[in-house]
Amino acid sequence: MFLALREIGRAKARFGLLVSAIALLVFLILFQQSLQNGLLTSFTGAVKNQSAPVLVYSVDGQRVLQASVITPDLEQRVRSTEGVGEVGAIRQGTFTGAPLTESENFDTSVIGYDAGADGEGLGAPASLSEGRLPTRAFEGVASAADARNGYGVGDVVRIVPGDAEISIVGIAQEAQLNVGPTIFVSNETYLELVAAVNPDAGVPPPNVLGVAPAVGVTDAQVVEAINGQSLELDALTRSDAAAKTPGVAQVQQSFAIIFLLYALVVPCVTGLFFLIVTFQKAGALTLLRAIGASARSLVWSLLLQAVIILGAGLALGILLYLPVSQTRLGGLELQFEEGAVIGWSIALLALGLVSSLFAARRVLKIDPMEATTGRGVGQ
Amino acid sequence: MKIALLELRRRPGRFLMAAVIMTLIAILLMFLGGLLDGLIKSSTGAIRAQDGQALVYSQTSEASLLRSRIEPALRAAVEDVDGVERAGGLGVVQLGARVPGKGPRDLAGVALFGFEIPPKGVPDVPPRGTAYADETLKSDGVEQDMTLLLGPARSPIQIVGFVSDTSFSGQGSLWASPETWRQVLGANRPDARLAENVFQALVVQGDEDVASRIDPATDGRTDSYTIEGAVNAIPGVESQRNTFNQILGVTIAIALVVIALFFALITVERTALYGVLKALGGRSRTIFAGLVTQAVVVTLIAAAIAGSAVLVLDAVIPAGSIPLDISLGRIAISVVLLLAAAVVGCGFSLRRVLRVDPASAIGRGS
Repeated sequence: MFLALREIGRAKARFGLLVSAIALLVFLILFQQSLQNGLLTSFTGAVKNQSAPVLVYSVDGQRVLQASVITPDLEQRVRSTEGVGEVGAIRQGTFTGAPLTESENFDTSVIGYDAGADGEGLGAPASLSEGRLPTRAFEGVASAADARNGYGVGDVVRIVPGDAEISIVGIAQEAQLNVGPTIFVSNETYLELVAAVNPDAGVPPPNVLGVAPAVGVTDAQVVEAINGQSLELDALTRSDAAAKTPGVAQVQQSFAIIFLLYALVVPCVTGLFFLIVTFQKAGALTLLRAIGASARSLVWSLLLQAVIILGAGLALGILLYLPVSQTRLGGLELQFEEGAVIGWSIALLALGLVSSLFAARRVLKIDPMEATTGRGVGQ
Repeated sequence: MKIALLELRRRPGRFLMAAVIMTLIAILLMFLGGLLDGLIKSSTGAIRAQDGQALVYSQTSEASLLRSRIEPALRAAVEDVDGVERAGGLGVVQLGARVPGKGPRDLAGVALFGFEIPPKGVPDVPPRGTAYADETLKSDGVEQDMTLLLGPARSPIQIVGFVSDTSFSGQGSLWASPETWRQVLGANRPDARLAENVFQALVVQGDEDVASRIDPATDGRTDSYTIEGAVNAIPGVESQRNTFNQILGVTIAIALVVIALFFALITVERTALYGVLKALGGRSRTIFAGLVTQAVVVTLIAAAIAGSAVLVLDAVIPAGSIPLDISLGRIAISVVLLLAAAVVGCGFSLRRVLRVDPASAIGRGS
């Protein structure tokens, strides 16, 4: 063991390069994990973190809030479906938002819902981290990720053209849509915004319906009942609606391939390194075996080195990742993913150790007798 | 150099692992690059294809067609700007299309454009109720002379031909007359309905600098871009490009470190041999050139395998799933970057090669 540590100390450049390679790989994997999760949360957070347990789209909408249109006929069918409790209209559009405290304009998703007197209607943000729900016209709850861009409580966002102004009265965590600022307002406010921006516009029907099942009925049962009503209705539970939003599966598939490739590179690099190092010091290892060192102690030394190097690479990679995970990337808020850090650390450590077993096998093959001929395992 | 190549030929196993790692890294580089190209291509094709020198949006639209609105008076002001030869209206509506023969819930996402100036590769404005389709829609079962039903209003659109590389926001596009677009928009999107002669944007033909003169001439009521500028202004394009390029940069750095590590280890292993070579008159330059040659050959083999692998991946990934666009240009760029990383990575071994003392060959074992 002592020799293993001394060897690392004496060949700093060699082991340092390996640590750097592992650290860069760990950093990239964790950064991309944050990127993937941040992208999905910013893309569909407002769908996942709203209060309606079931969302009903029109099939034409292809599971995109803004693209779906619920005609009066379809709405009536949903309302008359057995097992349906409460129903609320939800509308969504993208507007140009100009926070009064900022000089910059932002693409702003506005979600209108039947807020009611207390603001708690179906489609409201599921939970607030600050402030309250909208209870009056031209009040809104904004996504927390955009509070620093003039979408904080007390801020006013002007929607242009038309110059309608929304006062932000609450903040909701992970409630962005389409990777941009998102504001939840009452349907009355939403319709005023549409009319102000486009004088030619008619009264838009709801984009989707938020549904709460009747007492004793599960979300899955009400989804099945609604979809049975018409081939033009597409009911989904809240989590399914977020997961099946177009683009989500593509993002997950793309990242899965990328993660797989990076995860393969780490054990390959580690395995290659220790295999070469074992070949290089074959003579010394043979001599050690000849003077009484057991094969087991040599293998343990090798594995100890592998654990130290992998541990150092992981630690350095996580240290690099830490400041980057606190930043914003365009409209995307990254987060430090503890689960990913733990999961990847265990996986990469295990894979790295497994790959160094090839070198261990070489060590076990050493014949102490070869010390008398000057040949080592690598020759 | 000859010794280096001879060693590669006679003992390929020694370089196998490095080649495997470089192959994985090369696949990563090409896949990431292809993903970036695919994402950009599928979201910008329709704008890139515009045949003009400027694309004009309304002031507060943030370069979004869906939020832009050009009224006739504003259009007239643009047409009067010095250097403007011709201006044509442009508009889009994104809808689900029912394709004959497909299931009632199996819709294709389409972006129906109404245009006055034909984009590059698109024929003249087709008759009312008809459209040219982007060829990506073929993967959704769209065929010539087929009639698609668009949106909840089931607006019929007959396909009269196909065009290429005109996708918009990841959707296949349809190119129709302004009247067709306006009718479909009004029938399916009441909140986005536009009056007669109102468009979402203008494509302007004129001199090269015309884009810079339009906004001052309209007192800032417009937001004008060159076509390239309009492509970059599409929300998400710049941030996608920057993020992917950063990831590609770090991946190149990893390739560099891997090559440096591998050849540093090989150099250490051969220190005695290099001592003998130097004692026999071999120059440090020759020895280092041999190392670089080996690194370049290993990288080229890895790149060739990776290039073939991503081309196969591109062929087997179903159309419409991952937006992968593998081009020979992207493969060539990746190979050049990897070769540069390999040469620079070898540079770490240069000092060690220079330090080898020919006198150390005396007394060493054979």
